[in-house]
Amino acid sequence: MQRLLLLGLNHTTAPLDVREKLAFDASSQKHALESMRGQFPQCEFVILSTCNRVEFYAAREVHGSPRTDELLNAVALLQDVPAEVVKPHLYEKTDREAVTHLFHVASSLDSMVLGETQILGQVRDAYDAAAALGSTGVMLNPLFQRAIAVGKQVLRDTALGEGRLSIASVAVDYVRQIFDHFKDKTVLSVGAGEMAQLVLQHFAELKPGRLLVANRTKSRAEALAQQFGGAAVDFHSLADHVAAADIVITSTGASEPIITRSLMETALKARRFKPIVMLDIALPRDVEALVSEFQAVYLYNIDDLQKVVQQTQTQRKSAIDAATCIVLEHVDDFVASLRARELGPAIERLYAHHHHLAQEELHRTLNKLGHLKEDEKAHVEELARRIINKILHDPIKTLRAADSTHGLSAQYLHALEKLFKLDDRNINHEARKDE
Amino acid sequence: MPPEIPTLPQLSILALAVVALGIGIVLSVFRSRGNEKLRVPMKMLYYWGLSLAIVVVFWHTVRRGHWTPLESNFDTLVSLGVILGVFVMYLQKRRPVAGLDWFVMPMVMMLLLLGGVFGRTKLHAYLPTAWSVLHLVGVFGGAVAFALAGATGAMYLLSNQRLRNKTALPGSKFASLERLEHVTYLSVTLGFGLLTLGALMGFLWLLRDETKVLPPGKIILTGVIWVIYAIILHTPINPSFRGRKTAMLSIAGFILMIATVVAVQFVPSGK
Repeated sequence: MQRLLLLGLNHTTAPLDVREKLAFDASSQKHALESMRGQFPQCEFVILSTCNRVEFYAAREVHGSPRTDELLNAVALLQDVPAEVVKPHLYEKTDREAVTHLFHVASSLDSMVLGETQILGQVRDAYDAAAALGSTGVMLNPLFQRAIAVGKQVLRDTALGEGRLSIASVAVDYVRQIFDHFKDKTVLSVGAGEMAQLVLQHFAELKPGRLLVANRTKSRAEALAQQFGGAAVDFHSLADHVAAADIVITSTGASEPIITRSLMETALKARRFKPIVMLDIALPRDVEALVSEFQAVYLYNIDDLQKVVQQTQTQRKSAIDAATCIVLEHVDDFVASLRARELGPAIERLYAHHHHLAQEELHRTLNKLGHLKEDEKAHVEELARRIINKILHDPIKTLRAADSTHGLSAQYLHALEKLFKLDDRNINHEARKDE
Repeated sequence: MPPEIPTLPQLSILALAVVALGIGIVLSVFRSRGNEKLRVPMKMLYYWGLSLAIVVVFWHTVRRGHWTPLESNFDTLVSLGVILGVFVMYLQKRRPVAGLDWFVMPMVMMLLLLGGVFGRTKLHAYLPTAWSVLHLVGVFGGAVAFALAGATGAMYLLSNQRLRNKTALPGSKFASLERLEHVTYLSVTLGFGLLTLGALMGFLWLLRDETKVLPPGKIILTGVIWVIYAIILHTPINPSFRGRKTAMLSIAGFILMIATVVAVQFVPSGK
């Protein structure tokens, strides 16, 4: 009979410096799993360590080890951090609560950015790493496999994972609606600051034919261009570069627009009116608003992009209820399957044990009542069978109906196994002695 | 009843085909809202609708007793619809243009319905010759290509408007503007070639068949359509015509073409 234990901390319970102390990379995670398996050989472990959370999932025998303090001490020792430092930030969950939490995590309902899809991959990686070391078993294997399936279903069937939450990714989405392929496209960044870098990171993934960076300070342009395999161009020849570019990203700190209507008109003629996307993420704006009057120009400023981000956030929040419903359905189903898996065999053993006892006594009694006819013997056998069934009926019914939310089912089952000695090694009817 | 006139069972099956395609369009719209489970039923309905239309064409052909295509309103319009539908399904399988079926399948439904409506009207009698066959293949083949161009042109306008008004959320269900423009241009190129061939063959047919008198309206409409598509084809030379203007011209050309095809049904072409 196993118990599920979760011990962890996340971005809502612990500051970054505490999370950093407890975080695991791939090699330390492997070492930790091996160490914990060595210390608690009968248990299963998975460690989930991301930038926003560190969680330890353990499956152990009821009343077995490790308990919470033992687990905490083991982890603190491994990470060389005092247990008292992390203890105030930890949360502990067991059984159904632990299952619910994991399913919420995998579905990105517990993430800092609601609906982010990275966490599902991280849960999968954590499980794969533990499974590869043989650290998972009959409890954590189905648990994590189900968690991954739940995460996929939530992202697929709800709006939780839809839309974009960064200005850069919204900008890329807009560009994808205008251009089909990018190998023959030129991306020009006017400005070489942090925002430019962030946006260029997304655009570089499109693998454009050319990536140009123009900045008043040439060295900064060169540094940024080099980062993405592009080229620095002269800021003072901006008109020529705009004419050559299909996507222009502006993020300078200029107080006046640097791309005016007349510059754009000249550039469009030089481009033979091929469409051009302008992403003006500067404040104050770098591109004159009148530029958007040209049919070939698609101009998006920071407000336009931010509006989409806000719409996505609203959309995702409205999907929380639907996602939570899916999660809770799966929690109920998973917990029920666990109970059935554990209860079923235990109940069978209980019935088998008691019917065997009844058969032994029946046999002894029938030997003494040798004068009984066959139908009378059948009645006596039926009597013994019915007595056993009636005795066991109420306890079994209570056991099945026990509220697993509060873990009563696990406690009742454990008590049943102990009271009636239902451990497999004790069921040896051939060796049983008469009392 | 002449064998060219569609029978009631044939019309019933055609109606079923139209219904199947209509339901397929509805499922396609719902699917675009993220319900991927509708993908298979949607495709099955499209294939089923087109298959039913093919069955009707085949049945009609067998009943007529010979295989010469485009001999009657019914088989012309239904065949056009089938060709357009099958071509679009092929295109969507090879290199999909998102949302194309929302625009093209209604055209296919319209062609099937027109076939059912005009299929029972009196036919224009003529002797099929090589010129007439080539004329019809060119003109109607061009019509299919122009229908596709009209659809992608409409999609371009809609998508362009939403992108300029910034009412389109990223992740639109339509293909990109560049892809739509490309498909429009390819369709116009193909259609223009076929239309030119069809018009020339029609002219030669007119010269050969002294009994045939071509109404001036049809000549003018055909000429206007030809000029419109010639302009579209020359947008690389006159780039100010690209994008929205090309899309509008392709829609205008398609509407004129439909008007010409319908007008031909009611205009006598003999002495």
